[in-house]
Amino acid sequence: MAPVRLSNSLLGTFRAASIRPANAWRQKCLYHSYDYTESPPFPPAESAILSSAYNHVPSHGFTIDALKLGTRDAGYLDVSTNLFPRGAFDLVSYHLVTQRLALKDNVQFPGDGEQGKRMGVGAKALAIMAQPTYIPASLVELAKLADEIWFLAGDQSVDSSWYTKRASLSTIYSATEVFMTQDKSANFTETEQFLDSRLEDLMKIGRFMGALGEWGNYTGHSTINVLRSKGMRI
Amino acid sequence: MPIRLSPGTSRLLSSRLPFWVTIRLYRRFASTSVNTPEVYDVVCVGGGPAGLSLLSGLKASSVTSSLKVALIEGQDLLKNRLLKDASLESFSNRCSSLTPASVKNLQEIGAWRHVNTARVQPYQEMQVWDGVTDARISFDWGTARSIGPRNPAQPTTIAYMIENVNTTSMLLSRLEELGGVDMMTGTKVSSIELGTDGEKMDLSSWPILTLSNGKTLAARLVVGADGANSPVRTFAGIEARGFDYNRHGVVASLKLDGPGWGGPEHKIAYQRFLPTGPIAMLPLPGNMATLVWSTTPERAAVLKSLSQADFVAMVNAGFRLSTTDLEYLHTLSSAQVDEFAWREKHTPVNEQAIPMRVVDVQAGTVASFPLRMRHANTYTGERVALVGDAAHTIHPLAGQGLNQGQGDAAALVRTISHAVQTGQDIGSTLALESYNSERYAENNAMLGVCDKLHRLYSVESGPIVGLRSLGLRAVDAMGPLKGFFMSRAAGGS
Repeated sequence: MAPVRLSNSLLGTFRAASIRPANAWRQKCLYHSYDYTESPPFPPAESAILSSAYNHVPSHGFTIDALKLGTRDAGYLDVSTNLFPRGAFDLVSYHLVTQRLALKDNVQFPGDGEQGKRMGVGAKALAIMAQPTYIPASLVELAKLADEIWFLAGDQSVDSSWYTKRASLSTIYSATEVFMTQDKSANFTETEQFLDSRLEDLMKIGRFMGALGEWGNYTGHSTINVLRSKGMRI
Repeated sequence: MPIRLSPGTSRLLSSRLPFWVTIRLYRRFASTSVNTPEVYDVVCVGGGPAGLSLLSGLKASSVTSSLKVALIEGQDLLKNRLLKDASLESFSNRCSSLTPASVKNLQEIGAWRHVNTARVQPYQEMQVWDGVTDARISFDWGTARSIGPRNPAQPTTIAYMIENVNTTSMLLSRLEELGGVDMMTGTKVSSIELGTDGEKMDLSSWPILTLSNGKTLAARLVVGADGANSPVRTFAGIEARGFDYNRHGVVASLKLDGPGWGGPEHKIAYQRFLPTGPIAMLPLPGNMATLVWSTTPERAAVLKSLSQADFVAMVNAGFRLSTTDLEYLHTLSSAQVDEFAWREKHTPVNEQAIPMRVVDVQAGTVASFPLRMRHANTYTGERVALVGDAAHTIHPLAGQGLNQGQGDAAALVRTISHAVQTGQDIGSTLALESYNSERYAENNAMLGVCDKLHRLYSVESGPIVGLRSLGLRAVDAMGPLKGFFMSRAAGGS
């Protein structure tokens, strides 16, 4: 529900009436906190339907059919799919949100087989996410994922690198995601290599920028010091 | 210390009972006078070449010779002096190159005549080349024509190689000759803090140095000549900025096949810029030479762990083999001798253009030190002046570190004598201002040039390599431009 509202508000079609129920499920902070537990991202009914629909994704893909089957399995009428005005994208969104939230539990032991299966539908999901209507919501989800990964990695930066870190990780993540859709190698070894070389590039740039910043800082100060030594009051 | 009353109380009491209070405080003060610090005009912390040169300069000048000065040095300088009859077969691994300007300064303060001349090696030529492209530049006054006609009386020496211990020994001899310096060697400074406003003297803006032998000194001017981690600089609250290069300088005393390609009268210094850092071979008297090899800490550790024969092979390889071959040699833990012998056969080199073959390394002289660049924000503070490494630390690729310190010392002597002549307080920031303005920009430029050279030659491939080689060859072809660079490096202007 949440991403619907967010995308709508981003598109400027803000409806006060429909935002109200969503608010109850969006009482969460914009930052990570150890002191407060986050409320579940979907209301119970939607969660039940989406989770049963999710089981049909391996056979039916991220489609409205999977959603319908899920509604039946959960004991609701077919018409309940009206809860999901965005249809297949809501299913994709559910996948992204649940995987993101599950990240903190399996970050130590990523299951290779599961990963392969899960990403097998990546191309279709990406195509749905790339539809213009869903791009803002997809970007929000991407940003949240990057944020989650940095948080789990223990990053506590509070300077401008907070933004650059998330931006660079999002870029690499999406590039890898696209690469993976075309990857035919066993166990996605080529994707892994692709990811490694992108991360290496990022670290190279980081080292270069760090050295450049250090050098710039030194040069700036030494210029001021030289002027001061010549008697300038600065 | 007497029991101090807070200013308010003191005023209150003295207005009512002036007599009683005065007497009481006076007597207490007198009974504790053993703790009164001894007052000096100049206290120099650190007895390295810069500090000793400063003191010799002060004592040698008639204007400043009456100043009460003290030297504090943690090591026992007299014990570490160079013996007069030291063998010419062994040299210390800590050598420096003295530019003609530094030597001139040492002559002016009367120290140069105490030098052990047999252990000083002037050199007349310098060969510098790029390890990747072999682009080469040679510095000698013959090819570096100045714009006007060359003065035939102009010396042909580029610089003098000298052991640091020789420099300090000559300055110590000069100081002994001049006398009048309270030498506190083998003594460390345990703390420096500001003094208090006592009855006799207001020392509240004066640095009070407490020594490890229990003495306390009050200094009108504290000179920090105490090296890169200067406690005086810390006391003054002056920040030093810069970077660590993540490189180590490996030094060693080497024995060559002969006295060099130019014979004993025309010595040549060599420097090859490898992507990991420059490797330099600088001539010492006879067949001896000193090595400075800037390289990564990992490679420095490998070099230090090698046997003597393998180390010799690595140094020879460093001047001869390609960077790829060198990279491979560094991955071996031993047997570099055979590997080098085999690879050398397949690497054509012009033996006359590189240093003579190394035949031996003096045992126990292979050592390394981390390379960094630091520059203090300013050289002066209230009653504080910094000279030498305390003020700036430089990459050794141009051999300028010791010379900068000598230049600082000479400039500070000029500043102090000007302050004495004009009746100023020699410790005031106003009097010291001219020292900072004379030296800061000059040292900053030298630090910048060496830093940029280091960065320029760290690049292994790409367009920069071609451009730098083109630039090097262009400068080599342009005599007057080369002459300009040489005179700058020699300390002239």
